[in-house]
Amino acid sequence: MRVRTDDEVYRVDAVWLGPPKATFPWRARYVAWGVGIVVFLVVLTVERRMGFGFGFFTTAWAFVITIVLTRFITARISHERPLTAVVAMWVRELTAPRERTASTGGAASAARIRVNPQRPRPQNTKRARTQAKNRVQAQHRRTTSRKKEVRGVRTPARP
Amino acid sequence: MFGRRRDRDRRSAQHIAQHAAAADPRNKQVYSKRGRRLPGESAVPSYTPSISARSIDGHLLRTGQEVYAWYKLAPQRWSFRSDSQRQDLIAAIAGQYAELQGRWMHLRVTTRPYPIRMWAEAHVHNAVKRLPDTPGTLTFDDYMVGEQQQLMGRSMAEKEVYLGVQVQTRNMMDRAVERAAPVLRKVFPDAVDAELVALDSEVEHLDQVIGSAGLDGRPATAEEMSWLMHRSCSLGLPAPRNLPAVPGAAWEPEDLASFTDAADFHQEPYSPTVTVRGRTGSNAGIKRHVAVLTVGLMHGLQIPEVDDPWVQRADRLPAAVEWSARIYVRRPEEVSGELQRQMNKVRSQVRHYTDEHELEPPQSLARQAGRVLEIDDEMTSGFTALGTRVRSWWRLAVSGPTERDALRLAQSLLDLYKPKVAIEHPEAQYALAREFIPGEPLSSAAYLRRGSVLWAASAVPTATAEVGDRRGILLGETCTATRRPVAWDPWMAQELRDASGLTAMVAGLGAGKSFLGGGIVYKTLRSGAHWTLLDPSGPLAALCDLPELRPYARPINLLNAQPGILNPYRVVAEPLLEHFYDEEDPERAWRREKALAAATRRRLVLDVLSGLLPFEVARLPQTRIVLLRAVRTVGGRFDAHPGMVFEALRRDASEHHEHAVVVADFLDEMRERMSLLIPERDADPYDEQRDDRLTVLTMAGLNLPKDGVGREHWTDAEALGVEMLNLAAWLTQRSIYDRPKDLRKGVWIDEAFFLSEVPTGRVLMNRFARDSRKWNVRVLLSSQIPADFLKIQGFVALLDSVFVGRLDDDQAQADALRLLKVPVGAGYEQVVASLGRRPGGERQTERDRAPRQFIFGDGAGGVERIRIDFSGPHLEHLRAGLDTTPDALRDRADGPDEEISAPQLPPAQKYVPDEIDDELAADLELGMTEEEQLVGHGDGSGPRHGREGIA
Repeated sequence: MRVRTDDEVYRVDAVWLGPPKATFPWRARYVAWGVGIVVFLVVLTVERRMGFGFGFFTTAWAFVITIVLTRFITARISHERPLTAVVAMWVRELTAPRERTASTGGAASAARIRVNPQRPRPQNTKRARTQAKNRVQAQHRRTTSRKKEVRGVRTPARP
Repeated sequence: MFGRRRDRDRRSAQHIAQHAAAADPRNKQVYSKRGRRLPGESAVPSYTPSISARSIDGHLLRTGQEVYAWYKLAPQRWSFRSDSQRQDLIAAIAGQYAELQGRWMHLRVTTRPYPIRMWAEAHVHNAVKRLPDTPGTLTFDDYMVGEQQQLMGRSMAEKEVYLGVQVQTRNMMDRAVERAAPVLRKVFPDAVDAELVALDSEVEHLDQVIGSAGLDGRPATAEEMSWLMHRSCSLGLPAPRNLPAVPGAAWEPEDLASFTDAADFHQEPYSPTVTVRGRTGSNAGIKRHVAVLTVGLMHGLQIPEVDDPWVQRADRLPAAVEWSARIYVRRPEEVSGELQRQMNKVRSQVRHYTDEHELEPPQSLARQAGRVLEIDDEMTSGFTALGTRVRSWWRLAVSGPTERDALRLAQSLLDLYKPKVAIEHPEAQYALAREFIPGEPLSSAAYLRRGSVLWAASAVPTATAEVGDRRGILLGETCTATRRPVAWDPWMAQELRDASGLTAMVAGLGAGKSFLGGGIVYKTLRSGAHWTLLDPSGPLAALCDLPELRPYARPINLLNAQPGILNPYRVVAEPLLEHFYDEEDPERAWRREKALAAATRRRLVLDVLSGLLPFEVARLPQTRIVLLRAVRTVGGRFDAHPGMVFEALRRDASEHHEHAVVVADFLDEMRERMSLLIPERDADPYDEQRDDRLTVLTMAGLNLPKDGVGREHWTDAEALGVEMLNLAAWLTQRSIYDRPKDLRKGVWIDEAFFLSEVPTGRVLMNRFARDSRKWNVRVLLSSQIPADFLKIQGFVALLDSVFVGRLDDDQAQADALRLLKVPVGAGYEQVVASLGRRPGGERQTERDRAPRQFIFGDGAGGVERIRIDFSGPHLEHLRAGLDTTPDALRDRADGPDEEISAPQLPPAQKYVPDEIDDELAADLELGMTEEEQLVGHGDGSGPRHGREGIA
């Protein structure tokens, strides 16, 4: 059984030979024409930006540069690697993660942590005293209403 | 501020653990505003995996956009099948693909190292009642270590093929529900599972499509999903030695970190490989360079006939190749529209060339137009959907410790596929490597391959070499496209498959028959089997000299044994009543068996004695009549002996009395030469009972006829030799009845060609076939000529497994394929001829020590070409012992037997079977009631054992 792909069908080289009855001496695919036009416009824009005036020679040079660039680009694309895919792969090359040579972190340091030998204890003020007293009373009256904050706190077993 | 602090105090250990899991700053996204409603969770940063996969439920993998169902595909046999079987397989797979119209598929081929530890575990569990270790020799544990080391040195991996099928795309609602799952689960648990529940029927349909013959896929288990994710997320790294435990519940996004954190990928711009660095587990700190390639343009391939399936071809590479293919099965209407456009394009180009520019259009345009019409025709004709079209991207990945290694492997892969398939090495390696991870989107549309489902199916990634089992002794490895270790448990067929235990081993001279057989015997002895070997030429007695076997082995040279050891009345075992307790009527079964044994003895005596007579005398009808009468007079008791037959002959009182005396004279003439058949008075060699694990019966110096010499040209010595061999085979067979039924026993009869030469050979074969299963026996029969076995009627049907070594004769090759039940005339004869042959025309004076190759049919459907490999250093002494190749330079002098068996070649003539033998063979098939019919004075009815004494 002979099995083969359908790829041949999709490899139609659509070329534009020129206007009817006026065949250009070169054959370029439609894609090349499209790329060429865009490149030509870009080159012209760049020339204007760089301060070259519009004239015969600048346009001619723009034309030459366009041809060189277009040939460069179209040499890199084919039916296998359409323009969009090549651009996409270029973007992916740029965005791929790189090896990280600079290290982050390093040795952990506890230098910036404040350390106190003692935890702060409630001072023997009047308010604290009443609180302590209340607590003792609350333990004695277990049945009465209990505050929400106290819920779940383990109470020492009654003697 | 206050609330925050209180939250932090209440944070449970679980939350902290989660926090730690998301510690990698790249993976972390803090949504401090979200989840404020839930006390305690606001401070925990949420985690988003760096891959697209979001959760795994059973075999369903969900990404943000899609749900994929993953299946593990069953391996398919490919080698030694007929082309039509292979075509059927491809068509079946294509049919399954065609049913998945409008769906994306993700095909992944990965590898798993051969589970050496699991094999060893199974093997040790299976080695019941194994040989006790002899002090100072190779112990069983050392032997197992050696076997495992030998396996480890090969670093063989098993291919695993997974297929993900897109079930559905997910909508906004599904994603919203998933995002709110933690809250929703408490409020409205049904809503969380609603998405997957709604998919139920769809998934069931897919399960059914993928599960049918062809792909034979079954939903991937949690462990397999974990393996696939691991292998994909740490692409190209060595297999992890231990996987994280598989959770019982679904994988949440946070759990996916265990896959993604195992390794990270990075690359330099436009570098030819991507670097994968292991971070956790056994791969921590290990770096691998992975080169990702893609399948480019492809010529037409002749798939089953000439070319390998094009994905399987990569198995020939000595390193593991990972595959990832994205396949979209297109709907026909979509394709026909596209074809129309292509056709228009071609037409307009042709017009552009001819009408507008008056130029000749390129030939390719005409060809393309033709192909468009062809495809259109394929798609519209017939009712099968095999014309369905796919778009696909096929990527391959190879890895090496350095970039250079990876690129070298990539280059050899390119060479492997040349010239019919172009393998490309594109840029954007990182993005392509990501494609291997289930759930990741396609990274680039470049290198798109379009074709029919038939083309996609002809890749057959599941094609593999499957032979043997996973618990038996190691024989070697397969050596076709795929390399896998071959293990074989000779008693699995009887114990699990209810098959017979008959194995044929056919190979020409020097093809490694005794080496293979000796290795099987040695290894199974170690794991607890009992063997009796009949080796007429004698080199296998060397097994008894191996230090670890010596205390349990006994070599017996039958020619020097006690007289009467080959007494035909004794070599047939007397059935014991206790062996029939499991029958419904033990008494009756036992009686029937006893009668059968008695009949077998008479048949055997008749056979042996007529075989010993000169051919011209033996073929006379009177001879048969008088012999038969004498044998019947003696009866079928086990304590009789042939001497009693001679006496009965002399006492013959019928009209053939004179002839009977002549026959008796002839036999008496040979009496001293057949002392082995007649015991001396009061000295029965069967009185002694010994329990040896290995008994090797040799008959060194026995004179055997040469191949292809007809019965009528045998000398007396040769005739005696064949009969003795026959009796020795019966003696060997007898040994199985001396041992318990369930004990694993083995019998190996070398030079088994005589089975087809003597009429009782077939009876012996039938007994072997019948009792090998009941008595748990593996019967190895080896011969140099497969036709010897094929001559025995019904032999192929009784066979369980087959080993075929190199054979040079065309006819022998075809016969060997018949034994293997492999299509004959399909080109496999060449394979038999080339087994283990040194390539090229080198004629070296050195010995060919390359491992011998066999084609192994395991009886369970697997047929593969294997390389016998007992090369471990722990088996050094075994190899030395089994070396049967003569070596004049060796110190040890061979026995003087060689001179005795000098060739006495009478002119070779075509063997014309005489009628008597034919008749006998036919009668034997009828169950040994022929004696009465032949003589003509038996009435043929009534129980046979009652008529034993009738004269």
